[in-house]
Amino acid sequence: MDGEIFGFLGPNGAGKSTVIRMLTTLSEPSEGTATVGGYDIVAQADRVRKIIGLVAEKIILYPRLSAVENLMFFGELYGLDRRQLRDRVEKLLTMVQLQKFRDSPVGGYSSGMRQRVNIIRGLLHDPEILFMDEPTAMLDPQSIRFVRDLIKELNQDGKTIVLTTHIMEEADELSHRIGIIDHGKIIAADTPAGLKSKLGCQTLEEVFLQLTGKALRDSASNHVPMRRVMGRV
Amino acid sequence: MKSQLLFQIYITLRMAHKDLLDFWKAKMLVATFTVMPIIMMTMFGSMFPQTGVANPFSGKVSSPYKNSPMAIVVEDTGSFGLQVADQFKQIASSTGLFDVLEFASFGSARERIVAGSLKGAVVIPAGFSEAFSSQRQATVLITTDDTNPQMASIIYGEASSIFKTISGRLSASFIAKMNNSVDASFISEPISVERRNLAGSTTNNFQFLAPGFMALTVVTGTLSGLAAVISREREQGTMDGLLVAPVPRSTIVVGKVLGQTVRGMIQASLILTLSILFFGVRIYGSPSLMALVMFMGVASFAGVGIILSAIASEQETAQMMMMLLQFPMMFLCGILFPIEQLPEWLQWVGKMLPLYYAADALRKVIVLGASFAQILPNLTIMFVYATITMAVAIPIFHKAMTR
Repeated sequence: MDGEIFGFLGPNGAGKSTVIRMLTTLSEPSEGTATVGGYDIVAQADRVRKIIGLVAEKIILYPRLSAVENLMFFGELYGLDRRQLRDRVEKLLTMVQLQKFRDSPVGGYSSGMRQRVNIIRGLLHDPEILFMDEPTAMLDPQSIRFVRDLIKELNQDGKTIVLTTHIMEEADELSHRIGIIDHGKIIAADTPAGLKSKLGCQTLEEVFLQLTGKALRDSASNHVPMRRVMGRV
Repeated sequence: MKSQLLFQIYITLRMAHKDLLDFWKAKMLVATFTVMPIIMMTMFGSMFPQTGVANPFSGKVSSPYKNSPMAIVVEDTGSFGLQVADQFKQIASSTGLFDVLEFASFGSARERIVAGSLKGAVVIPAGFSEAFSSQRQATVLITTDDTNPQMASIIYGEASSIFKTISGRLSASFIAKMNNSVDASFISEPISVERRNLAGSTTNNFQFLAPGFMALTVVTGTLSGLAAVISREREQGTMDGLLVAPVPRSTIVVGKVLGQTVRGMIQASLILTLSILFFGVRIYGSPSLMALVMFMGVASFAGVGIILSAIASEQETAQMMMMLLQFPMMFLCGILFPIEQLPEWLQWVGKMLPLYYAADALRKVIVLGASFAQILPNLTIMFVYATITMAVAIPIFHKAMTR
């Protein structure tokens, strides 16, 4: 899936976040393993960390620190030289149009602004693969549009993007390929068009509901039960 | 390899710096953090009777037991009784110890003690003068308000010391009459006692409290700070940002401990500064040794702090757990009062806790000017604690974070 946008879909509690956490080395799989960018997520976790970027569901920024302070801190964790890093931060802030607010605490930002900083936080070390967990959740239409365009742009610049979302149109619009996970297993993986024609559906939403059923997914366990882990990203 | 190590050290420091920066930006938190030791010192310092501590604002020496209202009842009908009573009044008022009021009978004085308007009564009983005339030892009776045992014993001590002075004067004059060639004090009091302190001037309660509070603040401040920062990072999701970066987990843990330690040490130096400026505390030992003791005190608890915050899933739980740990330590580790005042089994519990050794060592350094070698046993115990708890804590932290 080099260089593509991979839409990773699944109902609540299907194991999406758990898989993302494992692929980004945040959780260790209880059994099995996987490779990311050719590196083993357990044995070569540190290698994996260098080539991936993470835009998690929760904003990874310190609310009391300014955008620049946040970005400089996280950038330095990747061993970037301070001067180069400063240039990079400026460039990225310009890209998401936030130079004006660079020194205000991010806690005071609107959700859209915060998410834009959160996204460039994942891009500081110019990762090969970017994991984005519901990057447009709870944003206004303008911000959603901005983020979606940004995702396309980043992909055109050569980044592989793993995207999870509950918005089917978004997945349809952005993804080159779609993977659907349910009960901890990948139940389908194809291009959006391929999925639709295979199941004879008009929209991706129909595909999704046909594959995962219409029943509500209520579960209340603290730990997501994880069985098999996926193969290669 | 070497540059890798330097990078890790740099990242560790950067983690600590970030936590401190984050803390510094929370202005209300910083304010609370500053006011807290001031209030603690003032409250706890004033809780205990003190002698010779000047009021920081007026410079007046005050004691809650100065000028205490005290009754004197002279039941004796002879002249000696009245003489002794006059001397008592004179000494009491010149030293400012008691405000002496005359009462006709012990019964009426007793009523006033029960009512709370008198701290005690001195009775010169009938037959006092007669005993003197027939050259027998005479007795005075001292009664105190026993509702506050601590105060009662101080009042009793002060009143009896006045009578000791009077008694001494009398014996000197008796001896002088009997034999002019001998030093009167040699016969009346062949052995006299003078107090010589181990280091410098007299001690006061703050001299005892300040080192204890410094140790307590550094340790508990670091503990609860650690619990707060770790659980907050987990809750707000920023911990994932640290974990997903290609840095060893130990830089996160050590960085956090370091950041909180610096914070705790700042608070401790604040206590020390206040104690020196306002509460007459003097330092007789070396400041770098003090810093070492405080650092080891923190290190000995850091593991426990990490384990608790790793176990607790949210900030509130973590902080409550820390409180549970801190509160008894205040009493068990000789912070507020010497541990010897506790029952033996509780003393043992206190001696199991590293805070006891931190407070003890810090007190020895500050009050007695102890050297490194003299506090080495304490440092060794803290080091052993630190090593064991950290060895347990780091794997637990790893496990909790990758859950």
